[in-house]
Amino acid sequence: MKSADGKGAGRMSDRVFAVLWLSVCAVIAFQMFKLKVPFAYEPVGPKAFPLLMAILMALCCLMLLIRPDHQVHWPERPMLMKGAWLVASLLAYAALFSLLGFPVATAAMSLVVARLFGGSWMSSSITAVLIGVLGYLVFDRLLEVSLPLGLLSLDA
Amino acid sequence: MRDNGTLRLSAFMLAMLLSACNEQPDSGEAGETAFGGPDRPECIAPSAPGGGFDLTCKLAQKGLMELELLPRPMRVTYQPGGIGAVALNAVVAQRSDDDNVIVAFSGGSLLNLAQGKFGRYTEDDVRWVAATGIDYGMLCVRSDSPFRSLADLIDALKQDPASVVFGAGGTVGSQDWMKSAIIAREAGIDYRAMRYVPFEGGGEAQIALLGGHIAAYSGDISEVQGMLEGGRVRVLAVMSDGRLPAPYAAVPTAREQGFDLSWPILRGYYTGPNVGDAEYSWWVQSFDTMMADGRFDQMRHEFGMFPYAKTGTALNEEIKQRMAHYRKLVQDFGLVSDTVALQGQ
Amino acid sequence: MDSFSHLGQGFSVALAPLNLVLAAAGCFTGTVLGLLPGLGPINGVAIFLPLAFALHLPPESALILLASVYMGCEYGGRISAILLNVPGDAGAVMTTVDGYPMAQKGRAGVALSISAVSSFLGAFVATVGIVLFAPILSDWALSFGPAEYFALMVFAIATLGGMLGGKPVKALLGCFIGITLATVGIDSGTGVYRLTFGSIHLSDGIQFIVVVIGLFAISEILVMLEQTNVGQQVVRVSGRLLFNAQEFTSALSTMIRSALMGFGIGILPGAGATIASAIAYTTAKRISDKDGSFGDGDHRGVAAPEAANNASACGSFIPMLTLGVPGSGTTAVMLGALTLYNITPGPLLLETRPEIVWGLIASLFIANVLLLIMNIPMIGLFTRMLRIPNAILVPLIASISFIGVYGIHSSTFDLVLMVLLGVFGYILRKLHFPTGPIILGFVLAQLMEQNLRRALSISDGDPKILFASPLAISLWVLAALVLLAPLVWNLLKRVRGPTPAARDKTRNVPLDGTRD
Repeated sequence: MKSADGKGAGRMSDRVFAVLWLSVCAVIAFQMFKLKVPFAYEPVGPKAFPLLMAILMALCCLMLLIRPDHQVHWPERPMLMKGAWLVASLLAYAALFSLLGFPVATAAMSLVVARLFGGSWMSSSITAVLIGVLGYLVFDRLLEVSLPLGLLSLDA
Repeated sequence: MRDNGTLRLSAFMLAMLLSACNEQPDSGEAGETAFGGPDRPECIAPSAPGGGFDLTCKLAQKGLMELELLPRPMRVTYQPGGIGAVALNAVVAQRSDDDNVIVAFSGGSLLNLAQGKFGRYTEDDVRWVAATGIDYGMLCVRSDSPFRSLADLIDALKQDPASVVFGAGGTVGSQDWMKSAIIAREAGIDYRAMRYVPFEGGGEAQIALLGGHIAAYSGDISEVQGMLEGGRVRVLAVMSDGRLPAPYAAVPTAREQGFDLSWPILRGYYTGPNVGDAEYSWWVQSFDTMMADGRFDQMRHEFGMFPYAKTGTALNEEIKQRMAHYRKLVQDFGLVSDTVALQGQ
Repeated sequence: MDSFSHLGQGFSVALAPLNLVLAAAGCFTGTVLGLLPGLGPINGVAIFLPLAFALHLPPESALILLASVYMGCEYGGRISAILLNVPGDAGAVMTTVDGYPMAQKGRAGVALSISAVSSFLGAFVATVGIVLFAPILSDWALSFGPAEYFALMVFAIATLGGMLGGKPVKALLGCFIGITLATVGIDSGTGVYRLTFGSIHLSDGIQFIVVVIGLFAISEILVMLEQTNVGQQVVRVSGRLLFNAQEFTSALSTMIRSALMGFGIGILPGAGATIASAIAYTTAKRISDKDGSFGDGDHRGVAAPEAANNASACGSFIPMLTLGVPGSGTTAVMLGALTLYNITPGPLLLETRPEIVWGLIASLFIANVLLLIMNIPMIGLFTRMLRIPNAILVPLIASISFIGVYGIHSSTFDLVLMVLLGVFGYILRKLHFPTGPIILGFVLAQLMEQNLRRALSISDGDPKILFASPLAISLWVLAALVLLAPLVWNLLKRVRGPTPAARDKTRNVPLDGTRD
């Protein structure tokens, strides 16, 4: 997709990932060395397993560095922008879920996401309100899943 | 096409609405200025469903509902994490004035609080509402075990600390572990020298006991009622002050066998630090009324808990005393956690 | 036999009109809860238990209601797995592997119908197993100590070797990532906090459901966005709704074998449906995958995990009914429900309250039949879900995923973590990491590490305990066989003369969330 050197750039992704994950392994190993264990009833202890994993993952990453195996087609810039919007709206939804309350937060998220997936303003708004309100009624009232009311609880 | 989809969607949801006809009693809202009870009563069990905290919440739910003390049904929600740490932090930090919420606690929560495992909070950071029941620690073995009394087991431990494999449903420092540890201490053994196997919850440990993989299981007496009646286990000692009523009448206490071991597990509820006085007293009074009712005694019995009733100030005194006791234990066992740095957001 | 007369009694309890109505209601609600990711039997209990109290239902009716909800959930989990690539419950993770590709090829109806039948068969085999062998099988559950569990986990990992496919490094790395994610939180041995970075919200570790919904549902949403924009609309028109005779006969032996394996693993406390379905899937792939169609939409790849996870769900009733000890989170909740009715679960339950035990077993049969009858006509309805435009479907999936995660622990932190894991999962999928090994690594890791350490604390550090019992030894031998068999197989093939075409085809990417 992405021009002539697509192959090289694609394989680059594997390498970038490998380097990043190597640093994650380092963090894990560091955390484990730092961990103070009062005592354990067996010789293995809580450090061994994560340390072993850090070493094995590091080995895998090294192999990926040496022999990256796949070419990746990353999406084009407009799509990346849309993806960023999607992720941002989901993160905002997560963070504001209990603050705004389910109906409001859900309607807001649904509106953005429906628009991203090509819905018109009209239909997206209807979808958003329906999911927010019906979702609350169905899950909180009918299925007994406790959902936060947030903003709407003030008038209760 | 799009509208069609929306239509179908709403039809689907409507069908779901209609299909499981579960009415909500929506009446009973008095328009008075005094606090007439919470709008959305909720009991938080700081654990996954199915454990002791769940039962504690269900007891309040059943008791308050059946004795018609609550204007609306109470929900039970689950907020596990750090044996109550997450729930406590959430209530203190985010819902500190929410008069809808009570949180279940147990002696185990207090022990963890004493170890500093709840972050920067202490027992003074919440308002203790009521303790409605009590359970007792016990030690049991499989019914074909060579240990016939607590003395047998303690003698064996004295001879060889590694001769008895203990198991329970908690980590080092948890209250299930503590029951094994105080028995080891009674035998004059360092708890590091005993053999102890931690399991995920009491159920797995009980199965390991029945399968003969561990030799002794320390847990709560109410947990083993079924296996005791079924003749699968022998309870060597219950850690209560006196003998318990049937079906435990034949179970000897540790005291009567000459070992000064007692391990009561209080069960009750607290609420946020900034809940208003009117609301707090409403909860206290509701629990008082509930526990004064004979029908509640029956419910508590059905839930496998033993009678105990303290609310308000009396409970606060009790908590202070118990916390002092737990803190001393924690000191004695050198368990002060270096996870005090653990912070709530 | 004695069991049968008791069972007759049980049926007379379960077939009482009120109980039948309850079972039907439970089955329906269960299916709905099951197909919604994150929601499951626990929510069923929350809905129905207060209702049961309010209506003053007798304990056996309440238990029948809960059992049918439980069975319904096991049926429901496969639906969203097949249609949306989002497993509705833990047992349905493996169902996505072949189910979703089938749906993408327009065979959603076939996938749904064959999985319904294999669910039925799995549950049926397991229920018959309960009736015939419950007392013996409780001894089987007891004989598994920490050492045997460890050997079982090694065996499970050995069978997963068959899923490494053409990218062993990435599959292995994925598995290790899953294991590492599982080590976060309080260490159940020593009580120290590992990799929590000071956050109290990680103190109990990362919830399984957060990982599953993040890696599957949220990353799927990102993939869908990309596809929508590239204009790569998948063919979603579904042709045949029912499988044909040829498909059924070719899958029958897989179903029965998977049912037996699922049942055996389900009895073991703590092992559970995910492990059962993973082992059943990989075994089916090893035995039946002659042309490399597994992972690409093979109906047997849907039949195997579904038969296994339903059988395992029924199997988990055995420790509960015979010993009164919960074998899984769900049975713990059901035991709690029994306590509320002042019934003490325990080894005596079968003698003191036979109407409850046998009524429950009979209701498993009845719920299973009801579910099959209910599920086949609903297939048409469900496949129509695929025609909902993405602009409506995606917000719906997102909000339901959030409800599922929030509904369990009311934690905003879990929601944020789920989204982050979803983004991470999307990147991994773009890099052609298979998502399956991550999940399986996550599930197996806790059992493997803790049981190894438990075994060593029992023996005071002596590793001989790992090979002490005949059961443990046989599991080690099985693991070795599974690992060595392909090598021997290849050697034999080379002697006979290579068939390069066939070998190339088996290099198909198995167990892969990536389909682009």
